[in-house]
Amino acid sequence: MEPVTVKGISKCFGTITAVEPLTFSIRKGEVLGLIGENGAGKTTTMRMMATILKPSTGEIRINGYCVQKEAMAVRTQIGILFGGDVGMYNRLTARENIAFFGTLYGLAGMELNKRIDDLADMLEMGAFIDRRVGPFSRGMKQKVAIARTLVHDPQVILLDEPTTGLDVSAAVIFRQLITTMRQAGKTILFSSHNMGEIEKLCDRVAIMHKGKLLFHGTIPALRAKSSIHDLDDLFVHLVTGGKPIE
Amino acid sequence: MSSRHVWMMFQKELLDIWRDTKTWIAALVIPFLVIPSIIYLMTQSISNVEQEARAYVPIVITGDTSQGLVAHLQKEPGVKLLTAADPIQAVKEGAARAVIMIPPKLDQALRQGALVNMEVWYDAANQKSVYARELIEKSVRTYEEGIVSKRLEAAGLTSAAMHPISLSVSNLASQERVSGSMLASIVPLMLMLALASGGIPVATDIVAGEKDRGTLETLITAPVSAQSILTAKLLTVMTMGLVSSLASGASLMWVLRMQPKEGEKLTISFLQPESAVLLLGTLVLLSAFFAAVELCLSTIARSPREAHIYMTPVAFLALIPSYLIMPLTPADIPFAYYLLPIFNGAALLKEIFYGQIEPWHVLIVLSTSLLYVVLTISLAAALFRREGLLVK
Repeated sequence: MEPVTVKGISKCFGTITAVEPLTFSIRKGEVLGLIGENGAGKTTTMRMMATILKPSTGEIRINGYCVQKEAMAVRTQIGILFGGDVGMYNRLTARENIAFFGTLYGLAGMELNKRIDDLADMLEMGAFIDRRVGPFSRGMKQKVAIARTLVHDPQVILLDEPTTGLDVSAAVIFRQLITTMRQAGKTILFSSHNMGEIEKLCDRVAIMHKGKLLFHGTIPALRAKSSIHDLDDLFVHLVTGGKPIE
Repeated sequence: MSSRHVWMMFQKELLDIWRDTKTWIAALVIPFLVIPSIIYLMTQSISNVEQEARAYVPIVITGDTSQGLVAHLQKEPGVKLLTAADPIQAVKEGAARAVIMIPPKLDQALRQGALVNMEVWYDAANQKSVYARELIEKSVRTYEEGIVSKRLEAAGLTSAAMHPISLSVSNLASQERVSGSMLASIVPLMLMLALASGGIPVATDIVAGEKDRGTLETLITAPVSAQSILTAKLLTVMTMGLVSSLASGASLMWVLRMQPKEGEKLTISFLQPESAVLLLGTLVLLSAFFAAVELCLSTIARSPREAHIYMTPVAFLALIPSYLIMPLTPADIPFAYYLLPIFNGAALLKEIFYGQIEPWHVLIVLSTSLLYVVLTISLAAALFRREGLLVK
């Protein structure tokens, strides 16, 4: 059974339909890239998968748990990193921020400290792990947020534009981390505007536009549908045409 | 709801607040520094004005200045006689404190037993002028008593002929009760205001602020129930309200004890252990009510700024009942007040400080307060579960 199955989910806010019924799945050890312009419905889809928003129709299952009916169990399985401004407790140190979320997931003592130290090494946060995050740069905060997302070693990881604000070397570190997690069998949903990044990291892509799923498959399969090779151009062609690719 | 989760989140909130200077300034520094400073400056200012008013009392005498009353007035401490071209204008400008018009041949008229009219002008808007008027009145009365005494003596009578009844007045209230009644008028007001306003910065920060910063969205994806999150936040806001309230109470008591008038030393010895427990219980219930109201408003608000605007009237909610109850004794408090939210707490605080606690009222106030707390917390919980309100 696939760790993530999304069947016919949609989301309406009053009379506005943010996400039209969409279906996709993500296999174990797979990275699915979610691509779309701002307002395409990517974040709403991720929020539904993360139990924050309730789908208007359809069903989402994470590691067999139904998001709508077993929200607490789903939350233990996932780690989510939201896009936009990085939300942090600014008066707490980076370690305290990560530890607070770790304790909420049941980690404690030596196990928690070791996990934080490992993440600090992986993300090269050693120089600032014990400093308050208030004055941090956006890139530093993003690293802390990534560590916070991964502190409980989740099986399913939802990353909403995770490399936004990271400098080049930090983005490289992060991409290496994604590769490591994929090799460790993690299931990853990854949204980005950076097509190069998507091509490097993702096994398959899902393209959304104005709440609709236009394509779901591998990048070679997407290229095979058109004579356009460049992924950016192909994406623009697709969203301006706006028709789903069979 | 998990008590472990509540405790962990509560600890995190306290650590976060502990490092927030602005919150501590609002919760502690203002009660401990501003209230004593204001009261000190006010009392010092009043005391200085009184001292100056006594030390130098410039008055203008118009009319016949050769009369005995003038010499009598000059014996009053601080009195200095001035001359002025326009005595009324001199009083208006503050150069003179009062003007007294002495009619010609006053002493002769008094010896003949005639009724003499005298006039005094003063400025009621000037405290020093008011003091000068009082001094003149007192001086004229003692001069008058001397004349009456001589007349009685001439007629073979004593002063008992004029004052046949000797009235002695005794105060039945102990010093503790006097202190209690004085404190009962002001302390509940200060406590209520601090309870309501002390939690506002924190309530704004930990819901509307977290929503704005995006930390709330991350928090609600953790395996923690909405009830646990809300309970931890409620306890945090309650704690700050209580800390601020107790700081206000302590600072006020300290100031009042430091500024006693002779024979009016304020004391809290009337506050028995049972009363202290009841006081704390009432404050806890009131703080829970205010905290739940503030969390509701902070949840509805779309930004910290909007939350702050919504919460400003909460302080007025605390002030209105306190002001209405301030001049009343416990016996005069209408029964309906014991049933209404906030009014009930203010009424019970009044009874506690007055030292007239009615057990029946305690039962009503505690049960109605508990009911209002449950209702408000339920509303806050319902709002907290609405997805549209927690996500930016």
